[in-house]
Amino acid sequence: MADVTSSTQRDATQRPEIDRNAIAIALHRRSRRFGLFFWIPMVWLIVVAVACIFAPFWGLPPADEIDWVYIQSPPVEGHPLGTDNLGRDLLSRIVWGGRVSLTVGFAAPFIGVGLGLILGLIAGYYRGWADEVIGILIDAWLAIPGLVILLLFSVVFGGSLFMVCVSLGLLFIPTAARITRAATLNYATREFVLAAKAMGASDIRILRKEVFPNIIWPLIAFVLIDIPIAIVVEGSLSFLGLSVKAPTPSWGGIIAEGREVLSTSPHIAMVPTVVMFLTVLSFNLVGDAIRRRLADVREGAI
Amino acid sequence: MGDIILDVRNQKTAFVTARGMAQAVDGVSFTLERGRTLGVVGESGSGKSVLSRSIMRLLPSNALVPADSRVILNGRDLTRMTETELRRLRGPEVAIIFQDPMTSLNPVLTIGRQITEVLTFHMGLKRRAARDRAIELLRAVGLPQPDVRVDQYPHQLSGGMRQRVAIAIAIACEPDLLIADEPTTALDVTVQAEILDLLQRMVRDRNMAMILITHDMGVVAGRCDDVAVMYAGRIVEKAPVRDLFHHTRMPYTAALLASIPKITDPPHRKLDAIEGRPPDIINPPPGCPFAPRCLRADAGCDAEKPVLAGTSRHQWACLNPLGEEAPA
Amino acid sequence: MRYLLYRLRRLAIVLGVVTFITFLLVNVLPGDVAYEMAGMDSSEEEVQAIREDLGLDRPVLLRYAEWVGGVFVGDWGTSYINQENVWEAITDRFPVSFELMLLAQIIALSLAIPAGVASAFRPNGRADRIIGSLAFASVSMPSFMTAILLIFIFALGFGWLPATGYEPISEGLWANLRPMILPALSLALVEWTVLMRTLRAEMIAVLQENYIALARAKGMSNMRILLVHALRPSSFSMITLLGLQVARLLGGTIIIEQIFGIPGVGRLLIHAVYTRDFIVIQGCVTFFALAFVTANFLVDIAYAWLDPRVRTGGAHG
Ligand SMILES: Nc1ncnc2c1ncn2[C@@H]1O[C@H](COP(=O)(O)OP(=O)(O)OP(=O)(O)O)[C@@H](O)[C@H]1O
Ligand SMILES: [Mg+2]
Repeated sequence: MADVTSSTQRDATQRPEIDRNAIAIALHRRSRRFGLFFWIPMVWLIVVAVACIFAPFWGLPPADEIDWVYIQSPPVEGHPLGTDNLGRDLLSRIVWGGRVSLTVGFAAPFIGVGLGLILGLIAGYYRGWADEVIGILIDAWLAIPGLVILLLFSVVFGGSLFMVCVSLGLLFIPTAARITRAATLNYATREFVLAAKAMGASDIRILRKEVFPNIIWPLIAFVLIDIPIAIVVEGSLSFLGLSVKAPTPSWGGIIAEGREVLSTSPHIAMVPTVVMFLTVLSFNLVGDAIRRRLADVREGAI
Repeated sequence: MGDIILDVRNQKTAFVTARGMAQAVDGVSFTLERGRTLGVVGESGSGKSVLSRSIMRLLPSNALVPADSRVILNGRDLTRMTETELRRLRGPEVAIIFQDPMTSLNPVLTIGRQITEVLTFHMGLKRRAARDRAIELLRAVGLPQPDVRVDQYPHQLSGGMRQRVAIAIAIACEPDLLIADEPTTALDVTVQAEILDLLQRMVRDRNMAMILITHDMGVVAGRCDDVAVMYAGRIVEKAPVRDLFHHTRMPYTAALLASIPKITDPPHRKLDAIEGRPPDIINPPPGCPFAPRCLRADAGCDAEKPVLAGTSRHQWACLNPLGEEAPA
Repeated sequence: MRYLLYRLRRLAIVLGVVTFITFLLVNVLPGDVAYEMAGMDSSEEEVQAIREDLGLDRPVLLRYAEWVGGVFVGDWGTSYINQENVWEAITDRFPVSFELMLLAQIIALSLAIPAGVASAFRPNGRADRIIGSLAFASVSMPSFMTAILLIFIFALGFGWLPATGYEPISEGLWANLRPMILPALSLALVEWTVLMRTLRAEMIAVLQENYIALARAKGMSNMRILLVHALRPSSFSMITLLGLQVARLLGGTIIIEQIFGIPGVGRLLIHAVYTRDFIVIQGCVTFFALAFVTANFLVDIAYAWLDPRVRTGGAHG
C-alpha cells in the first residue's frame, strides 16, 4: 500500500528525529482544529446577526424614510454610510435587508432538506413505483434552471417573504432527496432494520429509530452548504426585483438600485456588495470548518 | 567479488500517520552484484514494497528517511541526488515492475505510448524508431501480435499480457537493476511460472541484477541466488538460497518454509499459515519483533532486539537460532 | 440497447412533466395576460372578451394537449404581447446566449484546469491553499456581484471595455467579442470553482494510482505525469459536471443578459415574466429543458472520447 504521490522527501531527509510520534499526532490534530479561518468569520456572522435581529433598537431611521436634505449623499452626520438615490439611509437599509437575507438563508435550506428528507425516505424505503415517480419528478426539477423555477414561482405566488423561503427551499429538494434515498436504500436492507421489521416494528418507527439517525449527519452537512447558496440566490432574485416586494429592502435590491448610479455614487452599490460578500464568505468558511469537524467526529478520529 | 551494482546501507523509512510514526523499513543493509538475483521474502506488511520504493527514491510525501541512510547505485549515492538527476536514472539504471498488472498501466494511453515515452525521453529515439523498438520489445517479452497490440489499450489485454507489457517497459532502457515487486501475485499459476521464467531469462541475457520480491518461498527456491527474509521492516536472515533452505537459523524463516505446499502433501491440505499477527510497526515490541509468535522465544527475546550476525555468507538476527541446540 | 431505450423513455417522460408543470403554473398566474393586453382601465367585459379571443377560458388540459401537438409540428405559438412567433423569437436569440455560455465555459475551464492540477499536485501545499482561498472567495460572489465589480473596475474605472451592449458577429469578430468579455467573465468566475474542486478531488485520487507510480518510476517529469498521465483519467467527473452545469449557466445568463443588456433568451424570458406573456415563458422553459437534455447527451459522447474503455467497447480478460 505504498502510495507514491510526490517525491519530495528531500527536506524530510534532513529533519532530525526528535520525539517523532508526538509530533506526527500533533501535526495531524492541528490541521483539524478550529483556527482563525473559523473564528474571524464566526465573529463577523455574530455581528451581522445581532445587528439584523435587533434592528429596531439601534435608533436607525426607518429603512424607507426619505431624507429630502440628503439625496444620494456620501456618508454624513446622521447617515454613517450615506443615503441612496431616494435619500434613504443606507446603513438602515442594509441592516433591514440583512433580515431578509438571513431569514431566507436559514429557512430555505431547512424547508428544502425537510421535504427532500421525506421524499427520499419514501423513495428509498418503499422503492417500486413511488421511487420511480419521485425519481422522474426530481429529474424534471433538475432539467429546469433553478432561477427559472424561482422566476415562475415569484410571478405566480407573489413576493411575500414566506413564499420566497418556500420557493427557494424547493431548489434544495433534489439533492437532499437523493442523499436521503441513497442512505435509506443502504440502511433499509441492513440486518438491524430487517430484524426490527421481523419483530413487527411499524414502518414509521423503523424509519425514525433506525434509518433517520444514520442520515441526519450528511443532511446537516448539506444544510451548512446550502445556507450561503440560499443567501446568494435570494440576492440574485431580489436583484431582478422578483424577491420581496419593493419598499422592503433586501441586499440584492439595494445593489440593483445602486447600479443605476454606479458611476456617480459607487458606494451605494459597493457597500452592500461588500457586506453580502463577507457574509456569504463567512458562512462558507464556518460551514466548511464545521463539516470537516463533523466528518472527523464520525470517523472517530478525535 | 563481482561488480557491485547496488549497495544499500542502513535504509530506514518511516511514515507520518494519524496514529504516530510507522517504521516500515528499519535499518536494512545489503549489496547486490551484477548478474545475480536477490529474493526478498516476508509476510504482507513486512515492508518489502516500501523497501523497493525507498531504493528508487519514490516515496510519498509523508515518508521520513534519516540522513544516514544510503542507497548507492553503480557507485553513485541516490540519497544525495536532486529530483532531476534521479529522473534520469529511473529507466536506464533502475526499473521496477509492480505487483498488480491490472492497475499499473495507464487506462487511457495505448500500450505503445507507454513504452515509447520511455524510449524518447531516455534514449532520445524519434517517434518511428521508438515505435519499432516498442514492437520489438513486445515481441521479446512474448506478447502475441505485437504490431497489433501496440495500438491497443490496457483493458484489451489479459492480466498476464499486461504484466508482459510492464516487463517490456521496465527493460526498455536496459537497466542495470530490475526490481520486481511480487510480479506474479495477481496472476494464475500457469501464467506465474511463464512470467518468472521470462524475467529470469531477461536478467540472464542482459546481465542485469534483479531484486525479486515475493511472499512465496517456493518462488525463491528455483530462481534466486540469495535470499533476504524480511520481518517488521528488518532483514532477519540472509543467505545464499541453498544455505537458507538447508541450514535455516531463524525460526521465522523456518515457519515460512513450512508454509510451502509440498508435492507429497495430500491435496487440499490447509497451508500452515504462521500463527499470530505481525507486530504493530507504530508501537513495536521492545525485544525481538517475532518473539510473541515464536515457539523458541524466552525472556531474553522479549527484552533485547537481536542484530544481524553470523558469517558474511549467512546472517541471521536471532538470540536462539535453530541448529545450535546442545546435541541431544 | 435496452438501457438506452429506458433512458430515452425516461427523458421523454421528464420533458413531459417539465412542460406540464410549467403549463399548470403559468396558467394559474393571478394577473393573466388578458389584463395586461386590455390595459389599465378596461372593464371586466373587455378582459373577458380578450380571454375568449385567446381561448384562455377553455380547460387547461385541452390547451396543454393543443400546445404539445403544436410543438411536434414546430408551432410553439405566438406571443400575446407582440404577436412574435415563439419558436422564431427563441431561435433568433439563442445563438447570443449560446455564445455567452460557451465563452463563459471556456474561460471557466481554462481557469479550472490549471488551478485544479496545481492544487492536486501537493494537496495542502502552498499553491493548493492559495487556490482554495481564491475559490472560496469566488463562490461567495454571485455573478451579479461579480458583474457589478467588473463593470466598476473595467468599464467605469479603466474604460477598457463597454459596460453594456451587444454587437452581432457581422460587425467583426473583435467587435462581437469585446462586449461579451465582461459578461462571460462574470459567469465564469462563479463556475470555475466547482469545476476546479471536482478536478482536484478526482486528480488527488488518480495520483495515488499504481500507474502514476509507474510513470514516476519511468523517470517522467512531474509536468508530464500531471498533464499526460493524470489529467485525462481525472476529468470524468468534471465532464459530467459540465453537462449538469448547463442548467446553472442558463439561469446565470438570465441575470447577466439583464445587467449587460444582451439580447439573448434570458432577456426574452425575463421580459415575458414581467409582462406575463405565458406562451413565451412556456416556450423558453421547454427550450431550456431541451438544451439541458441535449448538453447531457453530448457529455455522454465526450465520455466515450475520453475513456478508451467506453470507446473500444467491452473489456477483455
Ligand atoms: N504511505 C504510507 N503511509 C503509511 N504507512 C504506509 C504507507 N505505505 C506503506 N505503509 C505501511 O508500511 C508497512 C509496509 O508496507 P509494504 O507495502 O512495504 O508491505 P509489503 O511487505 O509490500 O506487503 P505486501 O506483501 O502486502 O505487498 C505496512 O504496515 C504499511 O501499512
Ligand atoms: Mg507489497
